[in-house]
Amino acid sequence: MLLMKPKMLSVQRHFSTKACALLILISLFHIGHTIARADAVSELASFSIFDKVDLAQLAKSDVKTAHGPPMRNPRFLAVQSCYVSPGSPAQQIDALRRWDPTRHRELKVFLHSDLPSNPTPSNFEKLKNAPDNASVRSFVAATQKLSSDLQVSRDEAKKFSGGGGGGGGIPAPVAAFWADVLSTRTKNFVSGGMSAQPPYDHAGPSIRASDEVNGLLREQEKIRQQFSGFLGATAIGRGAGSLRPELYWELLDVDDQGVVTLGASYSRGGAGGTYQAADVLYYASGGYYVALTLYQLWPVTVDGKASTLVWRGDMISAASLGSLHGVERLGSESVMMKNITKAVALFRRDNSGNR
Amino acid sequence: MEIGKQVKIFERRSVLLVFSAAFLLATPGFADESDTNWFWPLSGEYLAEGTYVGEGDVQRGPRKRVSDFDEIDSTLRLVLTPRTKFGVLRLGAEWERFSFGFPSKTALPNTLQSFSAVIGLDMQFSDSIIVRAEGQPGLYNSGLGHLSWDDFNVPFLVGGTYIYNPNLQLVLGVSVNVERKYPVIPAAGIRWKIAPRWLLDAVLPTPRLQFEMTRDVSLYAGATVKETSFRVDDQFGDAHGIPRLNHAIVTYSEVRTGAGFDWKISPIVTFTGEVGYQPYRDFDFHRAEVHYHQDGGAPYGTISLHGAF
Repeated sequence: MLLMKPKMLSVQRHFSTKACALLILISLFHIGHTIARADAVSELASFSIFDKVDLAQLAKSDVKTAHGPPMRNPRFLAVQSCYVSPGSPAQQIDALRRWDPTRHRELKVFLHSDLPSNPTPSNFEKLKNAPDNASVRSFVAATQKLSSDLQVSRDEAKKFSGGGGGGGGIPAPVAAFWADVLSTRTKNFVSGGMSAQPPYDHAGPSIRASDEVNGLLREQEKIRQQFSGFLGATAIGRGAGSLRPELYWELLDVDDQGVVTLGASYSRGGAGGTYQAADVLYYASGGYYVALTLYQLWPVTVDGKASTLVWRGDMISAASLGSLHGVERLGSESVMMKNITKAVALFRRDNSGNR
Repeated sequence: MEIGKQVKIFERRSVLLVFSAAFLLATPGFADESDTNWFWPLSGEYLAEGTYVGEGDVQRGPRKRVSDFDEIDSTLRLVLTPRTKFGVLRLGAEWERFSFGFPSKTALPNTLQSFSAVIGLDMQFSDSIIVRAEGQPGLYNSGLGHLSWDDFNVPFLVGGTYIYNPNLQLVLGVSVNVERKYPVIPAAGIRWKIAPRWLLDAVLPTPRLQFEMTRDVSLYAGATVKETSFRVDDQFGDAHGIPRLNHAIVTYSEVRTGAGFDWKISPIVTFTGEVGYQPYRDFDFHRAEVHYHQDGGAPYGTISLHGAF
């Protein structure tokens, strides 16, 4: 850019003042946009695995995914992705808010419900309407025998009165048990954040979701720094934050096993039209301990159109990952990348007609 | 400015796609709850295996029969699998020894042995394709008595896995060994998680149908396919009345079919026991046109300790 400057000045001498002013204005406009793009790309490079991104090329291609950094804890896995979408970051956030992925069967979400900040067991009544499939039956069976695979605390396990059976879906005593566990855990999250979550210690060593999410962030220091201000205002990995979460629960399939999970979403706009967002699954009855997805969105201009550069970091902690090594871990990361690509492609496809 | 504005992110559900994927290749139910991999950043895999095959028979032509000989197959392998920018490196060493209890004057070597390095790379070509290229340069002979450069060989394989979804992967590859009668042998396989506790891992050299009995114990039925070329010593032919076998290449092949169990003793140690029947065995001096083929199978038993860290 500095090399270009003398040339521009020499050209200016041959134009009228008005034309010159216009030229300068246009030049500044272009410089401004170039800087905006450069800032986004350089900021992306500063904390992510993507140290070299060609925005124009990225805008024409699918989502770009990459393995996250190797982590010391064998339970952890992370994948990063980036892509360019038309529209501003605010529009992207709005599209994310409106998007309904349950239309896509491959997501294997059987039940989903938003939650108020002070839920009661009645907010989980949908459990009684769970579909009668192998995954849900497996979940019911695991609950009825208080399987060692269940991720609950000892105190929670003591509350299960047993019984139930017959008629598809989830029997009433099982549904009541989970409604109590989930409502109590949601209240704990609202009042004391992830730190207030009881540990998974019903069988085996004690695992705390907040320790897991903090471990995931600690092993990705650049990401932790990038999101430290935003995460500091949330309840992710700590006590209740100043940002109000959007709460929800789901019954879904994880590795052919029914799992009930609790989640919270946050987002916050920043300087220059940027956004940061986070989605944490802070409780799961099995399959994984905790999952966190972080988003960073920058406004960029590609081919003269307002667009958004999106970085997404998916990270997960799960006991089963501990047994993966070498090519097995590579394979799992590959599928994770493939599924993120698929999810983003579905999202972009669903929203392509909205602009 | 929209600082502080809170919006609901529905895309969270898409994250769930990721979870089942994460367990693609995890051995079902095997969990590691320790916080730290004590070997990190070192990672690798190891195997110590011993197989005893009972008395079997082979035959050469209509009259040359070798009866009632047994076999001990021993294998030690250590491969480090460090993660690099290009993929997962595979660097290590392997020793394998076949000891046969042949009657005297049998024109077959009592020992077939290999010392080899393992040099390979697992590369990700796309989010659906992982390719492995691995060579095993080393000495492949009939014992340490008469080492020569001609004992050196570099068999290698190149194979790709296509990840269709977390429950189904297709494998295609070629094994190359210039000393073999057919230097290039293609192979295909499938890895299919049929049901939550059932896995069809039909990939050479150890195709298996596995059933996860408990969290730490799996049962399986399957096969083990082995084929390696070795060079016998300079006087082997003279000593056995067939001079053209001096310094000759013999390719030894065997197939074992059986059932066994994997017992995960700890996150990095698995004990395997297997018994079965060996229905196929072949000694082929293909350049010298001396060929002993299976005439009578034999029972076998295998124990091994293996794992990854």
